[in-house]
Formats: sequence, structure tokens, C-alpha cells
Amino acid sequence: MNTPLTRRHFLRSASAVLALPALESLDFRAFAATKPATPPKRMIFLNFGWGVTNETWFPNVKKTGADWELPPGLAPLARHKKDITVVQGCSNKFADMPHWGSTFWLTGANRFGEPGQSFHNSISADQVAAAHLGGDTRHTSLQLNAPNADDGHGPGLSLAWDQRGKPMAGLENPVLVFHRLFSDETMPLAQRQAMLAEKRSILDAVTVNAKRVQRGLTKTDTDKLDEYFQSIRDIEVRLGKDERWLTVPKVKPPIAEPKPGLAGREEIKLMYDLIAAALQTDTTRVITYRQPVSTLLRSLELKFAAHDISHYGPGERMEASQKRDAAQSELLAGLIDKLKAIRESDGRSLFDHTALAYGSNIRTIHYLDNCPTVLTGGGAGIKRGQHLVLSKDTPLANVWLTMLRGIGVNTERHGDSSGLVKELIA
Amino acid sequence: MKSAAILFLTVTTAIAAPHETRMDESQRVFFKNYCLKCHGAEKPKADVRLDDLSFTIADIPTAERWQKVLNALNSGDMPPEDEKQPRAAEKAKFLQHLSGTMVAARKALGDTGGVITMRRLNKREYENTIEDLLGVKVDAKELPNDGSSGTFDTFGKSLFLSSDQLEQYLTLARRALDQVIATGPRPKTLKAHIEAEDEANLRITHIMRFYQMGGYRAYKQWKASNGRPTTDFGIVDESEIKFRLYVWERNTAPMIDYLTRPETKTGALLTIQDSNPQVGLAIPDEMPPGRYRLRARIGAMPNTEASRHFVELGVRGRSMEDAMNLIACRKVNAPQSKPEVMEFDITLPRLTVPLSVEIGPETKKQLILGERVFAFRERMPNNREHAAQLARVAHEQTGFGVEPALWIDWVEWEGPLFDAWPTAAHSRIFFKGETAARDDAYAREILARFAAAAFRGKEVKPSYLDKLVAHFREKRDEGESFEQAMKEPLSIVLASPSFLYLNEIGSAAGRETKAAGDVKPVSFTAPGGDAPPSRSRVPLSGTELATRLSYFLWSGPPDDGLLSLGKSGELTQPAVLHAQTRRLLASPKAWRFITGFTHQWLGMERLDFFQFNSRLYPGFDDSVKRAARDEVLHTMHTILTENHPVTSLLKADFVVINDLLADYYGLKSEGRDFHKVLVPPGTPRGGLLGMAAVLAMGSDGERSSPVERGAWVLRKLLHDPPPPAPPNVPQLSRHSGKLLSARELLTAHMEEPQCAQCHQRIDPIGYGLEHFNAAGLWRDVEVAEIASGYSVRKSKEHPIDASGTLSDGTKFDGFFQLRDAIAKREKAFALGLIENLVSYALGRPSQLSDDDLCADILLQARKDKLTLPTIIHALVGSREFQSK
Repeated sequence: MNTPLTRRHFLRSASAVLALPALESLDFRAFAATKPATPPKRMIFLNFGWGVTNETWFPNVKKTGADWELPPGLAPLARHKKDITVVQGCSNKFADMPHWGSTFWLTGANRFGEPGQSFHNSISADQVAAAHLGGDTRHTSLQLNAPNADDGHGPGLSLAWDQRGKPMAGLENPVLVFHRLFSDETMPLAQRQAMLAEKRSILDAVTVNAKRVQRGLTKTDTDKLDEYFQSIRDIEVRLGKDERWLTVPKVKPPIAEPKPGLAGREEIKLMYDLIAAALQTDTTRVITYRQPVSTLLRSLELKFAAHDISHYGPGERMEASQKRDAAQSELLAGLIDKLKAIRESDGRSLFDHTALAYGSNIRTIHYLDNCPTVLTGGGAGIKRGQHLVLSKDTPLANVWLTMLRGIGVNTERHGDSSGLVKELIA
Repeated sequence: MKSAAILFLTVTTAIAAPHETRMDESQRVFFKNYCLKCHGAEKPKADVRLDDLSFTIADIPTAERWQKVLNALNSGDMPPEDEKQPRAAEKAKFLQHLSGTMVAARKALGDTGGVITMRRLNKREYENTIEDLLGVKVDAKELPNDGSSGTFDTFGKSLFLSSDQLEQYLTLARRALDQVIATGPRPKTLKAHIEAEDEANLRITHIMRFYQMGGYRAYKQWKASNGRPTTDFGIVDESEIKFRLYVWERNTAPMIDYLTRPETKTGALLTIQDSNPQVGLAIPDEMPPGRYRLRARIGAMPNTEASRHFVELGVRGRSMEDAMNLIACRKVNAPQSKPEVMEFDITLPRLTVPLSVEIGPETKKQLILGERVFAFRERMPNNREHAAQLARVAHEQTGFGVEPALWIDWVEWEGPLFDAWPTAAHSRIFFKGETAARDDAYAREILARFAAAAFRGKEVKPSYLDKLVAHFREKRDEGESFEQAMKEPLSIVLASPSFLYLNEIGSAAGRETKAAGDVKPVSFTAPGGDAPPSRSRVPLSGTELATRLSYFLWSGPPDDGLLSLGKSGELTQPAVLHAQTRRLLASPKAWRFITGFTHQWLGMERLDFFQFNSRLYPGFDDSVKRAARDEVLHTMHTILTENHPVTSLLKADFVVINDLLADYYGLKSEGRDFHKVLVPPGTPRGGLLGMAAVLAMGSDGERSSPVERGAWVLRKLLHDPPPPAPPNVPQLSRHSGKLLSARELLTAHMEEPQCAQCHQRIDPIGYGLEHFNAAGLWRDVEVAEIASGYSVRKSKEHPIDASGTLSDGTKFDGFFQLRDAIAKREKAFALGLIENLVSYALGRPSQLSDDDLCADILLQARKDKLTLPTIIHALVGSREFQSK
């Protein structure tokens, strides 16, 4: 017993693990070794909870098409004007909570869609995209989130809702995101393989207990426990992926490790840097970010509650609301800069292969109609540089459907969509 | 057991019929006049036909159609401008009816008939459960937050689980076990003693010598050089060299003053100005997490205001300028000539970011930064900007700044501290002691016992144990020690569903019948209609009841006594259950219930949503804010332990405060622990309406908000919640930007029927509270101003008009009459509280089908002066609480 068996043990379990997915791994290595000739498509969804300043964020509705003027709230995006499209007129018709800026934003679901229940949601657009784009990357999708209670987002753990309409957790700490994406494994391969095997066998143990718990449960409780089983399956899928990626070293991070403890504007900027880096390195292809508002205000030295600012009137609060809009637009402009600066294998930029949507389910104050929406990037073949005013109450899901189709997802509908937005297709 | 089952059968009452919600017939005329003309059967406009829309809302499609009508009216889209317009009053009336009906309809249609969804331990419960089991506090801040405003974190339906979280549970359990399980000798308890003057004097001398004088000298030479670049004098650019002159002028006098004071020879003064605002101490990175004790010898300086004699301890964070993460605020009663030693018990967190030392490039000053750097300072608003402003103003009067009020002789840290080694939890886990044979059989016994405790009396299957033992075996084969090898299987237990979920399947009798596919033991079938669906309700087993009870009143697992009463079935006897409930409520762990329930019930998360303007409310700093929050919780606790009627939350002749709040309220009372203080009649304090926390939540940190306050009173005190803020109602802002009183600003609400329908109920209550400023202090005038930072451009004083009328016509001339009017509604208040307790305890939103239960609890509680324990006993004794 005193002889250290560590090394032998690792080798033993390593060979056991390797035997199973060998074929897949070989395939995979072939894939990983040669970069695809055409760079893959990517998607980004960014949401700020509390909406915008109505008077100064939206372009003049009388000037549409290519002939439009940037309003003050979007002014920091001036250098990208030809590359952004502002869409007006869209909403989620079932949305009814004026403090929920992101719960149904990407889903277009009916909260009361399930009889006898007071909350129901369905799959979000990013997860539809992830199912299509995420198979070949280390992470199927990446969810980023800000944890504050007063950010106007409503229920959810990130912008993403899975196949069953359950909330998906988001990473909240930029340092953690960095390590998840880029930190090199210091552990030897055999030891990592052993760890994977160990994780599998942990899952095995808890599954035995979960099956025990299942006995005698009501239907409702069985559904609840199903989240546990689903988590196990998700980890299994991830382990399977980890295994395929085991011998592929993590890519060198194109950015430095972030400083801990940043909040607000700096934190968003950092998350944007990480988004660009994750896409650049093809670590994932679909990213959502449920952005902070409260901490952004603090970092701009605005002391009101984020919610209270959304009830602005002329004066200090409206100025605060406008400062927030400008800061958000400036951050977005910075992200676009970054995406444009990154060259891909075909000589074009990462921006050209990315579809980005930026907005909120809340327009302003308590308004849920005309959701603020900015689209950019060349990934989904969206016609850029225009100001579109669609007919009132066009389902926002039509925009998502158009984007999904643009990146090659073969689907007829999403959420409460009623069709494609033809004006958006280049 | 048998008698309990029979009891259930006999108390069974038929479940209420699905509630029909009806739009009031009186509103049909309005509907006809303003909607049906265009939206009738004949060629309905926009294809929207409303003539067949039923006034009875019995299903979701009908609700959706009415919702559209409500939306169109709220947004002002309908009736269109070119059609006949309703009078404001009749439109307001119709909207009031319709929005009220929709709230009721949603509630009725969302009624599950009381189905309780199995729940995962929420974040609080998880932390408590680990603590009760292992004796250590886990740092669960990486777990997602549970619950959101308007709901409780006990609602199973809203407690989700994701794969990330599952992995988190494994990691957290492992960390806790690493702290608990002794795999080596007792970690050394170290102690470090720091004389406060050593660090402070050295630092200030260095700054004076290098930064201050160096900068000033460079400036003078540059000025005399007639235009040579500043870099010739070692300074980057012109703006920097001018800044250095400014710093010289600002800081030299305070620093010389500091260094020449006799008290700084033997200790450190805590200054407001930059010279020495904090005395810090760092616990080195290599120290393990755990319990530590900090000490400081502190005294108050003579001839300074008593209200400044409060010292704050906090985590300094990444920079001296950052807000501190406060740990404690204590009153300093001893004079500097005879200082007192204060002790602070802290939990040192696991190290995530290594300590760093920042050395100013020219100052040579060393500033130690990190999550384990603690600092003492005089109590003040949690931003340096405020202190800088105070120092600026005082500098002009005294020539150096603000006279220091506190002095520190030395500081100390000691730790990690253990009650015993190995820890109590270690000895519980390795129950046979040090001498036992460390073999597989012992490992299996340990795991079986641990899992049984972790699973709260639920059965542990041999097949599961087999898996756990296999993990142990594997680790052992890898060469790990017996104790070390147990960590992994033990942490698996703490990530298993039997631990993470409060699963209830009912008593053995109920289970057997179900398994046999026989008639369900207690069956409730809705008489007609399909909602709620027919289902069965089974009585909980004894252990399940024990668990539900302890998670209700302790937010944690049952102890051995409760669990064994559950196992034996005795707990299902009313007398035993009653006695146990009383025991749980008397335990210190009931504090978890008080905080968990009260904070969510009263919506107190709003206190954290904004910062208070420290120019306007310098006294309402983070320490006072925290004490104000605690006041609400301690009051609730006093009401529980001293058997006061719950209505004393509406009006009382006592407050529960500490010395800090006494100072804030201008009351006389000593003692840092919260305690009851009688207040004379005619003072505004006593009851929730006079509490700073409640009033502060009803503000935006700058001004009081009659709307927030009024809506809060309707929701929390009067059981008459206004409908949720509707989407798409136009906001009125024509008054903003003028120097109007809060009351004047809101008159616009009465002009638009969409607003008036709710605000005529909400706003007047808020007017009655206008004598309290945004930070909860009494005022006779309201100052409206336009300001930026510390400069006020314009301001105007308004006398307070606190009169108003409640929606039932009750008139009040000010706060005291309003408080009396609200205090009279004790039934409504108690019912609201009961409804919230029911949904918190059962872990699901309150539903229409709870009405009978709530009424019954109220009836029982009124027999015994409506005390919190009576309400809880009635709730625990109910069929709903004892069944699933």
C-alpha cells in the first residue's frame, strides 16, 4: 500500500479511456490540424437590461434606408455607420413584464404558454445557432452574465435558454472566463485522462442515487429531477468533448490575463475583449452576454438605481440615461473595431464572418414595443448600413429567424416568428 | 402512524372549484360604447372582433384577448383619436376593473391547486446545511443567486440546476472537506502584533521626504528655468508638475500636523484627510482559510464629537480609494488616555488573488493590497470623495484639515482558531477514532453514516455505497492516506440528489398504495373543469415532515432530536409537532428564518440598488444602512421571541436598535447589540413605517419617492397590492427639471386616466410619509435642488404637506394619523403576512386555493393576539404543511 502507484494507475486508466473514442479522436485531429478553408460563421448577442433613452437613441423614423442619420445615443458608432443596421418596430408580443429586459428577448416565448403555470420559456436563438455551429469547437457556446439584481433582465441565468426552455448558467467573472478559454493545462496528459475517467465515475455514482430518488416522485418532481439528469448528460457531453480536445493544446490567448476586481465599463470592455479572443481562436462560435447596467452606472459615477434611471424625465436622470446609452454604444464600437482588426484565413476579417445583435426587450421606461435593435457583422448576410422601420409589432423573432437562416440554420420558425424580414437580407 | 393517516382522511375537504374570474358587469356599457362600435361582428376593424369576448375569463385564450384590450387602452392607442373618447373618470374606472380582473385571472389560471414542486437547496440553505453538517462556512458566492424580487428563494419551480452548478457543488464540498478533515498535525495558530505608529510614521515620512518635497523642488526649479522641459526635472509633463504643486499645498500642512502630534509617537491617528485615513493589517497568503480573531487597542480623542466615535473594520480591497467591504462598525467608548481593546471574529476566505504590494514610483510608499488586507477607519460614507470634500472645507478653517477623532495603539491578528483538533466534524466522520483499523469495511461504515446524515434520514442504497467505496478504493490504490482518500467519496455525497433536493414522496402507507396502482389514499378531484388537474395529496412521512419543518424554521437540516422523532413517527402527533416547532423557534438557528423570510417578504433587496448621495445624507453611510437593515430583522426576531402581536410591526411603543442607530435616530441608548428600547408616544419611531430602512427603500438615494413608499405600503402592509406596473403606459415628464416638491411632481398622475387608476391609491400614502427624507430622518421642509456633485446651482424649500386620503375615504392630516389608519387594518396586514409565510414555507407562489388555509390560520391566530408563533403553529399544523 505504501508503494506509490500513482503513475501506473494513470497509465492504466489512460489506456482504457483512449480505447473508446479513438476513431473520433483521429477524425478530430485531422480537423483540428487543418484550419477550414472558409472561416466558420460566428454569432454574438449582447443585451442591456433597462432599454435606452427614447428621445435620443432612435434614428429619425422619417429617414430610412441608406439615408439615415445617427442619433446622439448611437453617435459613438459613427465610424461604423456603414456597417450597422438599426431596426425599429419589433417586439415580443407576449412580453408583459416591464422589468424583464432579457428573459424573452431571444426566445419570443409566451410566458403563459403552459396551462396552469405562471412561467414558461422556450429555446433562445443563440442555442439554436449553437446546435448548428458548436459541434467542432471546444465550447459549444459561451454564456456571459452579470449577476446584479437591478439590471433589468428578469428571470434567467444568462441570455440563453436551452432546448427545454430552462435557463442556462452564465460565467460572471472575466478572470474565470479567461482561464476557461485559454489557461494551459499544467497537468500531464495521462493525469488529465485519469481525471476525465474519475469525473465519469463520479457521474456514475450520483446517477445511482438520482435513480433512487426518482422512485415514487410525482410528475412535477420528476420533471424537476430531470434537470439533474440533464446536467449529468451535459457534463458527459462536455467530457466527451474534453476528451476529443485532450491532446489539442489550448490556443495561446491573444490577450493578457485580466486583472481581477474590475467592474462596470472596464468589466464590459474586458468581456468584449474575451468575446473577440474566443471567436478569434475558434474556441467557440456562439456567445451571449447579459450585460451589467448597475455597475456600469457606478463606473460612470452615476449614483441612481439602474431602474430609476430608466424612469427619466428631463434633467439629471435623463442626462444619466443618455450617458449610459453613449457609454454602451462606445463599448460596442470598440468591440466592432476589434472584430474588424482580426484577420482570418481567407484574408477577410473576423467581423465579416460574425453576426452580432445588440439590444434589449425593453425600449425605454416601461415600453416593451419597438425593442431597440442594432445588427452588425457580415456573418448572416444582413444588409448593413441602413435604418429599417418595420411595421409596428413585427415579431422580434423574425429578426432572429432571418439571422439564423443567414448563418445556415435550416429552420422555418423561431419563437413566435411569422416569417423572414426580407428587408434585412442583402 | 395509522392515526395520522386517518386524521388526514377526515380533515380532507374538497378542493375549491377552479376560480372563475369575471369582469364586472357594470363595465359593459363602457365596453359597448368605446370598443364594440368598431370591433363588432360586422366587418370588425383590423380583424379584431370583441363582441364575442366573454366577461368570464376561464381560459388562457380569453385572458390573452382581454390582455390585448388592456394593452391598447393603456398605451392610449384605443379608442383612436378620431373616435368618440371616454371621459377620464370612466376610462380610469374601466382600466381599474380590467387590470384588477387580469391580475385575478392570471392568479386563477396559474393556480396549480397547491402542487409543491420538489426543491433544490437554495443558496442559503446549502450554506447552512454544509455548516450544520461540517461546522465550516462555505463561500458559495460562485453559485447562482436564487429567487428574485416578488418571489421567495424557496420556490422549487424556480430553483434550477445546471451542469456548471453541479460541478460547483463538487468543488465546494471538496473545499469544505479540505478544511474539516485532518490529514496532518494541527495547523499552527499564529499571532502577529503591529504597533500602528510604525507603519504610519514611516509611510508619511517617506511621502513627505520624496513625493511632497521632491515635487515641490522640481516645480520651483522648473518655474525658474524659463521654459525647460519638465522632464529635465524628472517629471513627465506640465500638468503633472502643476499637480505636484497642488499636492504640496494641500498635503504638507496635514502631514506635518500629523507627525508633530504627540499621540503619533505611540500610536496612529485615523484622519479624514489623506495623511492616515486607515490603519491596516494583512494576513499572509500562506495562512489557511478559517476562523481568525482581530484585535485593536483604540481610544477616542478628547474634544471631538461623540457621533464620530465609531470605528469601522473592513476589507481594504484593491486600493485605498476603493470602497471598503465592511465587516463591523463599533462605538469607541474609551478615551485615548485609557484605550480599550476590541476583538473581531472573522472568517478568513480562501485565497483567490495573491497579496500584492504596490510601491509608488516616487513616493516609495508601500501599499499592501488584497482580499486579506483588513483596515480600520473612522466611520464615514464609503467613498473617498466625501472625505476629500470634508478635508478641503476644514483645511481652510484649521490650516490642516479635520481634527482626528480616533486613535489606535496597536492591531493584532491571531489564527487559525479551532475549538478542537481534529475538528468536531472530523471526529464525527471518523467515528471510531484514531485507533480504528483503516480498512474498506470501516470506509464503508463511515460513508453509510455520513450519507445517512447528509440525506436527512432518507435511505442510502447499498449499490450507491458500492460506488462510493470504489472511489475510496481507487484513491487508496493511488497511494493516498485513508483520510485523504475519503474526501472524494464524501464530496460526491454532497453533490448527490438526495442531499441537494428536498424530495418528498409521502408516508410509507401512501407510497405502498401508489406502487400497487391502487386507489390513491387521499384524492382530490376538481369538481368539473380541467384545472386544477385531478391529483392526489399524500401525507408526508415523519422524516419528511421533520425536514420540511427544519427548512422552514432553520433554513437548514433537522438535528438528531427532530429527525429521530420524525423517524419514529411521533412527530406527526400534534402535541409533539407543536413542542418541536416551539423548540425550533427558540433556537438561535431561527434567526435564519427571520432573515431569509423577512428580507424577501419586505423586498429589502432594493436597499442595495442605489447609493445614497453622501453630500445630502452623510450620516446614512454603509454602517448605518446596515444597522438600519438589521433593525428590521431584529425587530421581527423580537416580535417572535417576545410574543408580540405581529401588528406591532404597524405601530409599537418600542424599537429594537443598537448604539449606532440610537445615535442616528437621536435616541438615547447604549450597547452594540440590538436591544429593545421603549419610545414615548408621539415619536415617529416604532413600527415599520418609522424605520430608516423602509423609508430609505422608498427613495432613489436623492429624494423621497411617495410612489415607491405608497406601493410598498399597499403591497406589504395593507394586502392590497396595486397591479404590476403595466407595460407601455406613457410616462409623464412635463414637470421634471423644475424645483417642485415631490408631491407637486406627482399631481400629473391624476391627469391621465391610465395613471390615475392606480396612482390615486398609491401616491397619497406616500404623501403621508413625506416628513421623512430619503434617508429616513424627520424633516419639516423638503429641499428641491439642482446640483452637480458638491455644487448646488439652485434650490428651493417646500413646507411638507403630509395630508391625504386613503382609497377607502379615510382622511389623514399627516404621518401619525396615517400610521393610526394603517395600524387599524390589522386583519388585512396579518392576512398578507400569513399568505407570504404560507408560500415561503410550502415553497410555491401563493394561490387562490390557499384562501381557506390563510383564513383558517388567521382565525386561529386571532384567538391568541396574533403573535408570530401562533401563526406559525397554525401553519405547521395545517394539512397543507403536512402533506405533499
